[in-house]
Amino acid sequence: MAVYGIKRIVLESYPILVTCILIALAAGYMLNSSIAEIAELPLILMMIPPINGMGGNIGSILGARLTSALHLGTLEPRLRGQRVLRGNVSASALISFAIFSLFGALFFAIAYSSGIPVARSFSLALAFFIAGMTLSAALIFVTIASAFVSFKGGLDPDNVVIPIVTAIGDVLGVTCLMLAIKIVGV
Amino acid sequence: MAREINIHAIVVQGLSILLLCAIIELGAGKVFEGMQEYFTTIMPGLIVMVPALLGLRGNINGALASRLGTGLNAGLIKPRLEMSTEVKVNLASSLILSLIASATIGVFAFGMNLLTGASTIGVLELMAIAILAGFLSGLILAFLTVFVAIVAYARGLDPDNVTSPTMASIGDFVTIACIYLAVLLVV
Repeated sequence: MAVYGIKRIVLESYPILVTCILIALAAGYMLNSSIAEIAELPLILMMIPPINGMGGNIGSILGARLTSALHLGTLEPRLRGQRVLRGNVSASALISFAIFSLFGALFFAIAYSSGIPVARSFSLALAFFIAGMTLSAALIFVTIASAFVSFKGGLDPDNVVIPIVTAIGDVLGVTCLMLAIKIVGV
Repeated sequence: MAREINIHAIVVQGLSILLLCAIIELGAGKVFEGMQEYFTTIMPGLIVMVPALLGLRGNINGALASRLGTGLNAGLIKPRLEMSTEVKVNLASSLILSLIASATIGVFAFGMNLLTGASTIGVLELMAIAILAGFLSGLILAFLTVFVAIVAYARGLDPDNVTSPTMASIGDFVTIACIYLAVLLVV
């Protein structure tokens, strides 16, 4: 890992990017097939960058920390008896709870002030919160798995973990949001 | 740089940066909401590319940020704003990846629309929008990532906690703005 090479970075990254593009296109398809709901309630569009972005952020903070710890040897790629791993997971869960509660409150305010009735605004905010928490739990799992598997397989996890986590975050984010909106019944 | 696990520091640094990100993401969401007509009527099939284009930024710049974070923490990259060989190699790789991945997105999105029988604009239009938006945002964001990573580290912040999330959010905003611009140019 002492020297960076353009060829190594490009060759290691491109297949992963293509995988991510394919996964992200599934999210795109999901959006395209919900186009009628979106046209009826454009506020859903406003929720997409936040849920994808924050999910990706929470996963990539954890991912970046785990990959640095793996490189530095303070973390080993196994689940049992890992203080560093436990600490990082608790921190990520705390951050998720705080950030998605805040976003829920913000979306309630935005929806209500744009003329949507109280009950529907609350449902929208609740749907966003539920989607966010489900997403975080899934992403924490994916982050740990991809960091350990890539490290064990001899790949540089820096080139692997973040792309995978953000791409899966995009699909799961859109999926969780659309499902939560349907379940809560906005 | 002590690498003892410190939940308090992770939560405080992580959360304050995420609050900043939340505001940026809301701005991105607002621009996105404003493009509603392009997605629903003017350019059918365009929305299929959006998660991939947004994801691309996180992927390429997130990986760049993560490499820089590791490089800085491990002492391979010096925390100075200079074009060292390590920084140049990292930048060039990101730009090459931006270009080829954007083109790939345009082609695949068209294929996806054909396969699913969704109505769609042409493959050249999709590719033009993807490449314009992808490369332009890639160019802006690659330089910004290097800047944020080095400055954050030099100020004593752990770049792992700061660079990736900040750049992902700024990335979403810049990418959506670039998609909007590309759409206006191509329409």
